[in-house]
Amino acid sequence: MLTIQASPEEIYDIELEHSLLEANEKLARENRALLDCHGITAVDFMGAIGSGKTTLITRLVAMLRERCGVAVFNGDATTCADADPIAAMGVQVVQIATVNGCHLDANVVGKALRGIELDGLRLLMIENIGNLICPAEFPLGSKARVVVISVTEGPYMVRKHPHMFLGAAAVVINKIDLAEAMGISVEALANDVHALKPDIRVIPASCKTGAGLDEIAAMVTAF
Amino acid sequence: MHEMSFAAGVLEKMLEFAFSHPDRRLVEVKLAVGVLTCIDPEQLAFCYEAIAAGTVVAGSTLTMEPVEAIVKCAGCGYHGSPKLWDDGLASALAFAAPATLCCPECGGTAEALQGHECAIRSVRYTTSSLAAP
Repeated sequence: MLTIQASPEEIYDIELEHSLLEANEKLARENRALLDCHGITAVDFMGAIGSGKTTLITRLVAMLRERCGVAVFNGDATTCADADPIAAMGVQVVQIATVNGCHLDANVVGKALRGIELDGLRLLMIENIGNLICPAEFPLGSKARVVVISVTEGPYMVRKHPHMFLGAAAVVINKIDLAEAMGISVEALANDVHALKPDIRVIPASCKTGAGLDEIAAMVTAF
Repeated sequence: MHEMSFAAGVLEKMLEFAFSHPDRRLVEVKLAVGVLTCIDPEQLAFCYEAIAAGTVVAGSTLTMEPVEAIVKCAGCGYHGSPKLWDDGLASALAFAAPATLCCPECGGTAEALQGHECAIRSVRYTTSSLAAP
C-alpha cells in the first residue's frame, strides 16, 4: 500500500468557521425567550463609571415600583453598595459581582434570572459595568440598550467611544444641571450621538433635579 | 479588557483542534474581526499567546484580518460602505475615522449587515512532529 507522509515543515491551512460571539449570543437569546415568556421587558443601561446609571435606575425604581413589577440587576466588580439602597425599596435586586470582569455577559445575567421570582415582573433594569467599550460586544438578552452619559465626561466623550452607541436604542445625557458650570453644550453632545445614529433617541436629564425622568420612565416601560 | 474573553474562546477551540488531531501541530489561528467591533488586534494576539503558553498549542500565533463594514438603509435602499465620522480628529491622530450608521445617501439610519463579526476563519498547522519514521 502506498502511503504518503507530509514532509517536515509542510504547512496546511484548513477552514474552521467558528464565531466567538455565538456562545454569548445564544445565551442572550435564551434569556430573551425566558423574559418574553414571562412578559418582562429588560433594559440594559451602559455607561462610564460615574455617569449616573445607578442613580438613574434608583430614581426609576422609585417612580415605577407602584405601577408595575420591577427588578434590578446591578453589575459591579465588587461591593453591594449600589444594590442595597434599591433592595431597601422592596424590589428584587441581584448584585452581579464580576470580580475582574469588565462587562456583564449573557451567562451571568442568565444565572441572575434563575435567582429571582419572575412571575409578576414587568420591567427588569440591568446596570452594566461602568465601561464604555467592553459591554458593547456582549448582548444580554435585553429588549433595548440605553447608554447613560453625563456632561462631566467632557465634550468628546461620544466621539471617543462610538461603538457603544451603535447598538443602543436611546441615550440619556445626565447631569444637565451641571452643563453650564462644566462649559459643556448638551446640544453638541446630542448632535454627536445623532452623527453616529440619526434615529437614536436622546433624552437630556438630571437625576438631581428630576428633569427628563418622566420621559425616561415612559420610554423604558414602552420598549 | 474584553480581549481576554475572546482569547479564551479561541484557545478553547484550538485545544479542541489539538486533541482531535494529535498528529498536527498548530502554527497559527486566523480570525476575521469586523471594524464595527471594538476588539484590539494587538491585545487579542498578546492575550492569546500568553494563555496558550504551557498548553499543547503553545507557540502558535493569532492573526486577524479586518472585515469592512457594509450598511443598508431601509429608507433609500443604499447598500455599501458606511459613512465615516471624518471630523479631522481621527486623521490628526493617524487613526481610521469611525464608521457611523448615518446613511451616506439620505442621512437616515442605516443598519449594519457586516462588520460586527468576530470569528475564527482558518488554522494553519504542520505535521512535522510525525515526519520522523
